[in-house]
Amino acid sequence: MVEMDGGYTLPGMVTLRRREKIFSVPEGKNLERILRDLGILPETVIVVQNGKIVPLDYRPKDGEEFELIDVISGG
Amino acid sequence: MRCTFCEKEAVLRLRHANLRLCPEHLVARVEKEAEKAIREFRMFTPEEKILVAVSGGKDSLGLWQILTKLGYQADGLYIHLGIEGYSQRSLEFCQEFARERGLRLEVVRLVDELGAGLDEIAKVLRGEPCAHCGAIKRYLMNRSALEGGYAALATGHNLDDEAATLLGNVLQWNLEYLARQYPVLPEGRKLARKVKPLIYVSEREMVAYCLISGIRYIYEECPHSVGARSLFLKGILNELEDRAPSTKITFLRAFLRSHHIFPRPKEEEVHDCPLCGMPTSAQGPCRFCRIRERMKHYAPA
Repeated sequence: MVEMDGGYTLPGMVTLRRREKIFSVPEGKNLERILRDLGILPETVIVVQNGKIVPLDYRPKDGEEFELIDVISGG
Repeated sequence: MRCTFCEKEAVLRLRHANLRLCPEHLVARVEKEAEKAIREFRMFTPEEKILVAVSGGKDSLGLWQILTKLGYQADGLYIHLGIEGYSQRSLEFCQEFARERGLRLEVVRLVDELGAGLDEIAKVLRGEPCAHCGAIKRYLMNRSALEGGYAALATGHNLDDEAATLLGNVLQWNLEYLARQYPVLPEGRKLARKVKPLIYVSEREMVAYCLISGIRYIYEECPHSVGARSLFLKGILNELEDRAPSTKITFLRAFLRSHHIFPRPKEEEVHDCPLCGMPTSAQGPCRFCRIRERMKHYAPA
């Protein structure tokens, strides 16, 4: 997996944005697996695409982009 | 992944409840859980007027939406703390929410009350801003609820908040705080009833609820919350939840069932503050008035 600071996508890759961080990961795994590989607990984010929630069993395809919305708040 | 209740595609799996929910059933579940808590703890009735403390975040705006959808009479209260780059933005989310739904929002500004925002107050009084923030907000929320004739003050504390608070209290074995931690704190003389209708709803459900319901809220955290202990405790609980789903709800429910074993806090001797007349356990002026007095001598640079 690649942590990117630019706005381009490599072939066969999926992009996930979490605040200012951008992750580019290979397609082929479902979102839950991708998040775990990135060290993110699936329960701590909601995955969104075009404003809609995407289930964690979804297997992203080449070029797809997602936003990760953090769930934890407070202080 | 199909919804547990219908043929639609589920968007969220709630392992702690063993449910897979489509958007419609997720909204229905969140509202039902809130209603269940309101009834179980006799928080308030539809005839009573409620004041919702809103911060611009998902939980408080989500709660306001839930209460109005369930038919309760709920107004909003926003306390503008004067936190640079944060308070004004979060106020705008609250104003937008209220405007779009034709709801009443009261705004109290710290700069009008104390002559300065929280950032300056923390500098003058020294110490962490959060230590002053809690006391200031409690005072202003109570005062607004009493002056507005509201039956209860509702806050957006959710399951994760309550479980983290509980873990913190248990780790310190703080019997007094454990006894005070409850979804309803009854009214007293010059003290408004305080209620937490979201205790059975997880943070994850609240984010999903807001996204599905089209509620725009502030994603950014208060800049002073960085490194907060409650966030650390939530992280620990999420690790546990990941390995053993329903840890948080079981932890909280078991505590609430056993709550009676914790000794009731002693009735504090409460006086009226000689300056504002509000109740205080301190000798002399209440903490809010003491802060106000200190700030009178502060001249901004």
